[in-house]
Order: sequence, then C-alpha cells, then structure tokens
Amino acid sequence: MPQQLSAKEQSLFRTVVRNYEDKQYKKGVKAADQILKKNPKHGDTLAMKALIMNSQGKTEEAFALAKIALQCDMKSHVCWHVYGLLYRAVKNFEEAIKAYKFALRLEPESQQIQRDLALLQVQMRDYQGYLVSRRSMLTSRSGLRQSWTALAVAHHLNGELSEAEGVLTTYEETLKNPPSKTDFENSEAVMYKNSLIAEQGNYQKALDHLESAGKHNLDKLAVLELRATYLAKLGRTEEAIKAYRALVDRNSEYKTYYDGLIAAMGIAPTDHKAMKAVYDEYAEKYPRCDAARRLPLDFLEGDDFRDCADKYIHRMLDKGVPSTFANLKHLYSSSSKKGILPALVQQYIDSGKSEANEEPKRNGDTSKGASAAYYFLSQHYNYYLSRDLDKAMEFIEKAIELEPNSVDFHLTKARIWKHYGDTQKASEAMEQARTLDTRDRHINTKAAKYQLRNNETEAAVKTMGMFTRAETVGGPLADLHDMQCVWYLTEDGQSYVRQGKLGLALKRFTAIYNIFDVWQEDQFDFHSFSLRKGQIRAYIEMIRWEDHLREHPFFSRAALSAVEVYLKIHDKPLANGVNGTGETNGEDAAERKKAAKKARKEAQKAEREALEKKSEPNKATREGDNDPKKKDDDPDGAKLAATTEPMNDAMKFLTPLLQFSPKSIDAQVAGFEVFIRRKKHILALKCLLAAAALDREHSKVHSHIVRFKLALDKDLETLPPKVAEVINSEFNLLPASTPLTQYNDEYLSKHKDCARRTLSALSVRKLLSPESSPACEKDVLSILKFPTVTFEEAKEALELLSSWRSSQLESFRSGAAEKWPKATIFAAST
Amino acid sequence: MDIRLLHPSDIPHVQHANITNLPENYFMKYYLYHALSWPQLSYVAVDVSRPKKTPYDYPRIVGYVLAKMEEDPPDGVQHGHITSLSVMRTHRRLGIAEKLMRQSQRAMVETFGAQYVSLHVRVSNNAALRLYRDTLGFKNEKIEAKYYADGEDAYSMKLDLGFVREQILDEQEEAEADEGEPVGSLGSKDDVNGEGKEKGDGKGKKRKVRVGRGLGVGDLVEKNESQKA
Ligand SMILES: CC(C)(COP(=O)(O)OP(=O)(O)OC[C@H]1O[C@@H](n2cnc3c(N)ncnc32)[C@H](O)[C@@H]1OP(=O)(O)O)[C@@H](O)C(=O)NCCC(=O)NCCS
Repeated sequence: MPQQLSAKEQSLFRTVVRNYEDKQYKKGVKAADQILKKNPKHGDTLAMKALIMNSQGKTEEAFALAKIALQCDMKSHVCWHVYGLLYRAVKNFEEAIKAYKFALRLEPESQQIQRDLALLQVQMRDYQGYLVSRRSMLTSRSGLRQSWTALAVAHHLNGELSEAEGVLTTYEETLKNPPSKTDFENSEAVMYKNSLIAEQGNYQKALDHLESAGKHNLDKLAVLELRATYLAKLGRTEEAIKAYRALVDRNSEYKTYYDGLIAAMGIAPTDHKAMKAVYDEYAEKYPRCDAARRLPLDFLEGDDFRDCADKYIHRMLDKGVPSTFANLKHLYSSSSKKGILPALVQQYIDSGKSEANEEPKRNGDTSKGASAAYYFLSQHYNYYLSRDLDKAMEFIEKAIELEPNSVDFHLTKARIWKHYGDTQKASEAMEQARTLDTRDRHINTKAAKYQLRNNETEAAVKTMGMFTRAETVGGPLADLHDMQCVWYLTEDGQSYVRQGKLGLALKRFTAIYNIFDVWQEDQFDFHSFSLRKGQIRAYIEMIRWEDHLREHPFFSRAALSAVEVYLKIHDKPLANGVNGTGETNGEDAAERKKAAKKARKEAQKAEREALEKKSEPNKATREGDNDPKKKDDDPDGAKLAATTEPMNDAMKFLTPLLQFSPKSIDAQVAGFEVFIRRKKHILALKCLLAAAALDREHSKVHSHIVRFKLALDKDLETLPPKVAEVINSEFNLLPASTPLTQYNDEYLSKHKDCARRTLSALSVRKLLSPESSPACEKDVLSILKFPTVTFEEAKEALELLSSWRSSQLESFRSGAAEKWPKATIFAAST
Repeated sequence: MDIRLLHPSDIPHVQHANITNLPENYFMKYYLYHALSWPQLSYVAVDVSRPKKTPYDYPRIVGYVLAKMEEDPPDGVQHGHITSLSVMRTHRRLGIAEKLMRQSQRAMVETFGAQYVSLHVRVSNNAALRLYRDTLGFKNEKIEAKYYADGEDAYSMKLDLGFVREQILDEQEEAEADEGEPVGSLGSKDDVNGEGKEKGDGKGKKRKVRVGRGLGVGDLVEKNESQKA
C-alpha cells in the first residue's frame, strides 16, 4: 500500500536520495533512520536505506532490508527498482531484469527504470527485449538523435539490418538543416548507416551513399578503405586501382592494401614479375618502407628470391636492425628459402663488407655488420625448423665477443639454454641480460618469465617488483592482479603445477577466470557511453568481440591448465592405488576431508573478522568508498585444492572452453577426461567425436576411443536404455569386428615412427593387458631411438613412466640424459 | 609487420605488450575507453606472418600507439595526446614506432581537428627521446618533476600538427587537379611522399612543405638538423 509521508518527511526523503547520489552514505542512512523512526514501515525509505547500505559494502544486510521494504510495500516501484539494483550489483542480471520489469509495470513512465532495464537487456544480449525498451524510450525522447541511433543499434543487433537503416533515414528526414561538416555525431552516423547498407550486400547503394553523404566525412581513412572495397567488388577496376594506390600512399606498411591493389590490377597470383614491379615502385617511392621490400620474399622463388633477399639482408644488417630474423623466419616453411637465407648471411660475413661499417653504434642497442650477422645465424640455428643448438651457441658467443654488452645477444643465449632444456642456465643467462639494461621492462619481463620456467617463483615476483607500482597494497603480486597481467598469472600458475603446489596453481588460474569476468563486465558502461560519444561502429565491433571473448587463447591456456590440475586432484588416489579402478584411497580421502574442514574453519574466521572490522565505528570504510576491498580468505588456494568435488569444480573452466573453443582439440580432450570421470557418457562421447573430427589420428583420440569402449562395456548395463541406444548409434569410431588389442596394434604399426603416438599405443596396450606391463614399459625406452623424437615427447614419456611408477624410469632418464645432456629434467637427481 | 588501426579484439594483446614493455599500465577498460572514444587514433603493428597454432589465434601485436584527444583542453585548443607507445624488443628499430605515430597524428588532424599533439617521456628514455625529438620533431615544453610513480621526471613534449594540415590540403589540391588525368598513373616523379615532407617539416620548418615539393626525399630526410639547432 503506498504510504504517505508528512511534508517534512517528504523533504527528508529527497535528502536521502540526494545523499545517495552524492555518495554521502552516512548522512543518507541518518536521514533515512529519522524518517523510519516515525514510519518504521515506509517501504521507499527502507529501500533507499538498503541501497545505501549496499554501497557501503553491506550486501547481505542490504538484501535483507530490501526484502522487508518489499513486504511493506509491494506496489512501490522504488522498492522493486532498488531490488533490481541490488541484484545488478551482485551481477545476478536475470533477477535484476525481472525486478526492473516489475518496477516498470508499476511506473511505466519512469525513464530511469526503463533505462536501467534497457542497459541490462543489451548486456545480457536480450536483443528483443532491448528493442522493445528502445522503442519506448524513443517515444519519450524523440528529439534526441541518440534515441534514434539507439533504436537502430537495437535493430542491428537483433539482425534486422534494413529496419536499422530505415530508422536512421527517418531521423535524417526530420532534420531541417544539414548538420555542419564538423558535427562528429552526424559524421559517424553517416558511416554507421553506410556499414549497414554494405552489410546487406548492396555495394552499389553503399558506394553511392558513400560518395554523396560521405564525401566530406571526418573519418577519412574509413571512407578511403570502404570506397576501395566497394569499387573492387563492383568491378570498377580503374577507380579501384586508384583508390588502393591512395591507401598505399597513406600507409605503405599494410599488406591488405597491396593485396587489394594487385587484385584490382588483375595481376594473377602466379605473375610474380608483375607483382614484384608493384612493390618495387613503392620501395623506390618510400625509402623507409619495410613492407614493399620484404613482402616480395613471400612469393619469389629461386634466383629472384635470392637477389631480393640479398638486398634486404644487406640493408638490415648494415643498419643493424636486431629484428631482422624475426622479420624473416616465417619464410622457413619453404625448405629452399630456409637454405638460402643463412647462406646469404654467411656470404655477407665472408665478403668482409660487414667490417667496413665503422660508425659507432648508439646506446648499445644496435649491432651493425658482423655482429648483426652472427646474431642472425645464431637465431637461425636456434629456430625449431633449423635447430642446431651447438652452432647457435657458437655464433652467439662470436656476437657477444664483438659486443659484450648487447642485451639482445644475451637474451638469445638464454633462449638457446632454454631449448637445451637447461632451465637453470637459461634463467641465469636472462638475468645477466637484464642487468645490462635495468631500465628496460621488456628484458625484465623476460628475466621473470625464465625464473618462473625454472620454478623460482619467489625470485620472479621480486624481479617483477622492480617495475610494479610500489604503492600498491599487497606488493608486486597484488599489482600484477590489479593490472590484469595475464601472462604472469598464467606462468606463475603453471610453475606451481610443476612444483606440485596445486592450490596456488588453481588460485592463479581462477584469477585469470575472474579477469575475464571483469572484461565481460567492462562493456556495461559503454552501452550508454558510446551512444553519448556517437561512436557506433566501434561499439558494435566491441559487442561482437565480447560475444566470444572467452575463445581468447589467454583464457583457454589458463582454463586448460586448471582442468588439468582438477584432474590431478581427482586422480591422486589413483596414482597410489593398486588396481587403478579409481576407487578413492581411504587415507588420501581422509586427508582431503581434514584439509577441507580446516579451510572452511579459516574462512569462517576470516569472515567473522571482516564483519567485526566493519562494525567497529572508527574503522568504517571511508565515505564514498563504495567498493571496499574484500579480504582474501584463501590466499594460497588451500580451499580450492581441498575440494571434494574436483570434477564439478572443473566444469567452471570446462564449460566456457567447450562453448567458445569447440574447434580446439585440447579443449575436447579435456572435456572427455572430465566427463568420463563423471560418468557422463554421452557428453564424453560428444567430445570424443568432436576431437576425432578434428584429428582422427591424434594420440589422445586413439587412447580415448579405447577407454570409452572399456567404460561402456563396464557401465552399459547400468545406463538407461535411451542413453545406451544413443551411444550405440553415435559411437562409430571403432570397426565392429576388430578386437581392441588388434585395433591398438594396427595403430601402433601405422605410427611406429611417431614417438607420441607410440606412447599412446603403449599405454593402451598396458591398459588392455596388464600382464604386458613390463614389456610396455621397456618399449617406452625405444622412442629415444626414433630419429624424429623431440625433447617434449621425451618429457611426456618420462611423466608417463613416472605415473606408472615404472622400474624403467631410471633407465629412461639416463638414456634421455645422453641424448639431451644439458636438460635439467633428465639430470640425475642427487 | 602490418601497421593498422587498433580494434577492440586486439586489446588483450595490446595490454600484454604494454605491461611487457612499460611500467605505466592500465586496465582493459581504459583501453576500451580509447578504442571506443577515438577509434581512429590508436594503431597497432601486427605480426601477420606467424603461422596459426590454433583456430583461435589472435593476431600478435608487436607494437602499438594508444592515443586520445584531450577532453576539455585547459587551453581551449583541440589537441591529441599519446597515452602509451611501445614496441616489443624483438621488433625494435624497424621503424614501427615512427610509423604508428605518423598514422595517429594524421588522424588526429583529419578527424578531430587537432592543432598539436602532446606526450610525456621519462628524461632518461634515450630511445624514445630520439624518436620524438629527432625523428618526429617534437619540442620540449617543460619538465614535470616527479611525474612518474617511481619519482622520475618527465619531459612534457609537444608537436605542432600544422604541417600535417598543410600536407592534407596539398593532397586535396592535387587530387582535385588530378581529376581527369589518366587513372592509375602515379603522378609525376617529384611528387614528394608523405614521409619526406613530414620529416623535413617535423623539424618545425613549416613552409618547407611547399618548398619541399621540388626537393627529393633525401634532402628532407637530413637527420642531424635539429640536433645542431
Ligand atoms: C621507444 C620505442 C617505442 C621505439 O620503437 P622502435 O619501433 O624501435 O622505433 P623506430 O624503429 O620507429 O625508430 C625511429 C627512430 O627513433 C630513433 N630510435 C629508436 N630507437 C632508438 C634507440 N634505441 N637508440 C637510438 N635511437 C633510437 C632512431 O632515430 C630511429 O630511426 P633510425 O632507426 O632510422 O635510426 C621502443 O624502443 C620501445 O618500445 N621502448 C620501450 C617503451 C618506451 O620507452 N616507450 C616510450 C614511452 S614514452
């Protein structure tokens, strides 16, 4: 029931609202209490008080109070609006939308509520709802261009392109005078409309529109680029050529422009001579241009390639560009180019020309002539397609001899040690490089990374601390969290995995997970901001990108590692277990329960302490500080690692992996591992089928097929008939009549030269016939003799033997140590 | 290395490049704020030759310039500001920073009518100082004491963008005069390219833009002028 306040209290209520808006929370609460003294059941006041308390960080009390407010006054839009705002604050957007809708039903004219609702709808991608909201907002504020643009955006996002275009046109027709040339909002609206026309595939219309309405547009580059594209699509060759030339003249370092030009000129991709002529023209025109000199190397072959490469290399080495190799290494996919490039560099050295360059170098940063050439060769032999680490070391030593203080040279030396597998020496060498230029953060970053790779976690954070903000509470690590330093958190986590500190590892991966949540939340403000700024195309682009934000490798790398850790936690009993059936080992389970209990207790204590602190009057959070930093009640991830349901917890990471990166075989493999443990047969099969579709011969796909079959044989009777039926009809990866052992043998003989697949087949054999274990374990040793075996594969073999607790572990290790004498991981443990 | 506009989807890698190279770091939202307020001003250098390792590989950013317009400039003059610029160590000295800066400067004038561009640089940052002062023609405005969190001073530098405006006008004139010429022709040989003009002019000799038309590029790229000055 709506409740009336006296005039004096009404004015007090307005004060409460104002206090809230001005972030004067204490005053607000005081004023609210004054009203409540006389009208303890005044819903709106209770709601406002709840809202203020929420801003003070008292979320739970706020929710409780808001509920009371609603009980007092179910028909108050203020109460419902506040209820929605509270849900919004804890990111429960679905509930927030519901509450806003209630509020709006009670107060259909409220623009504030309508706006809050609309913003949440677009954030949640409820485009149909957004469209309804925007339509109604337009009716109430049709004089504003923003309102029209917003409606067009809603149509656009909802897939209604021509309606979107129509809305923009309708607005344009209401304009009495043409907007001024410097009216940015108009300029952008024109380009937005143009993009809508083009998106509908009507290039002629788009071109016409661009040439009329877009003629003096402020976004010159966009006009030039779009015009070139449209002309090309419409087959207006001559004009397209001219348009692309204008683009190359503007920016001669963008391959797309050259490609467009060459295509418009009708030059066949096989006509290398004509293509080269185009690049030459620009190389001459722009003496400082790199692309025109480098890009022809991509398509030229034989002597033409040699000539062109020779010129390029001379130019770069003479100048001492340290990034010469980085700029050329992609050519190594061609084996002839891989041979020619180092030969040219060798000639450069032999010709003695390199010595002629006497100009003193600057800043210790550039290395000209001979040292640059040695540096190139060292990188060449360090590169995975042309690797000979001893030679790489030899050349880098030569380069260092000429220039003992070059950061780049020492950096490369560290990378060579890394490839040797000696993480210790690599870390030391990188540290040395760092000390040569302590003011450069890039080399500092590398030093920290190499420390992490060598599991020197403490040292690494100290190194990072040389560049993080000193004033951040919580030190360098807190700053790296604040600044969303994804690479560090990921590497730190992976280092903890290697050290067996699974709690800390999960802690870091969870931090990445949270960063992506923040990145998703970050778009919220732009739903209104971008309309005000009028930058619509960029906004649409952001929306599209945010839609699949978590496909980013930064996410999947951390997520895959997290799943791997949860699998480890789940399987740990199995590693000690005798029969390998996955039954939990009693002792371990008890341990874990104990740890979980301890973690729970600590959490409760922390919570209590936090609450006590808050209720202490003198230590209350500062006024206006509406996001008091919560104390971390699990800094070491002990609680995370103490989980009794690791496979459930893994889903947090696995679900987005499978949703956003379904074409990643690693994601599907991880999915199988989790689902098969959870006995979700259909979901496991789905992952297996997806992985097989990506790479049928993948080592993991092979072992998963067999494991799936075994699991099925075991569980089939207990499965509901419907499920069994689906699985039987979908699981078509095994030939019907072949016994598993034979199937596995065939795979092994088919891939007998591939170490990784051999390992897979051997572990399957061991699984199928446990009595063959000793032989299988012995056979693992054989991979060391494979001509193509890589360091990584040997590492995997070592891990495999170790997980089997095999007696062959030591022989394998020493065999591998012979092959990779510098690798830390194979060194005898003393 | 492609030089092209920064897109929102580039931001995670731009943020990565920033925190790898510089001590002044920002939240993702701050990058979004740039990309969505002045999408024409920020540029990236991208390693496009890298073979993809997964279907979800994002282009690797090896350099970027993050730029903005000053909102409500205190002096009332529209101007741009360089928030951050860096290039990965593995890709330095290829001219990337210079080219990123030039693209951004041009867009500042074209799209937002900037009169000048300003930036801050550590007094000890020789590489950046050479780039700004010698290559691009920035001038020292003043020293801002203890500008950086670690207590280091900054030079506050400025570049008048008048020469870019003139260059754009010149190109417009040319384009108009060009109308009717056989398409596809490159124009005459002494057609000075943008780099040369900017270079000569970056050193503050405004009139040289027009005078420079007759000159070859080499004359204008003379490097040591401003050091002597
Ligand atoms: C400063 C920085 C951005 C330069 O990037 P870059 O792409 O290597 O620079 P460019 O190749 O475009 O250099 C252009 C010119 O700048 C000057 N320059 C660049 N680096 C230099 C160095 N290390 N020493 C001396 N001069 C240098 C040169 O005059 C160069 O022209 P040249 O190669 O023809 O001689 C890069 O070194 C960097 O990222 N440093 C760390 C981050 C940083 O300091 N950013 C600036 C913060 S304000």
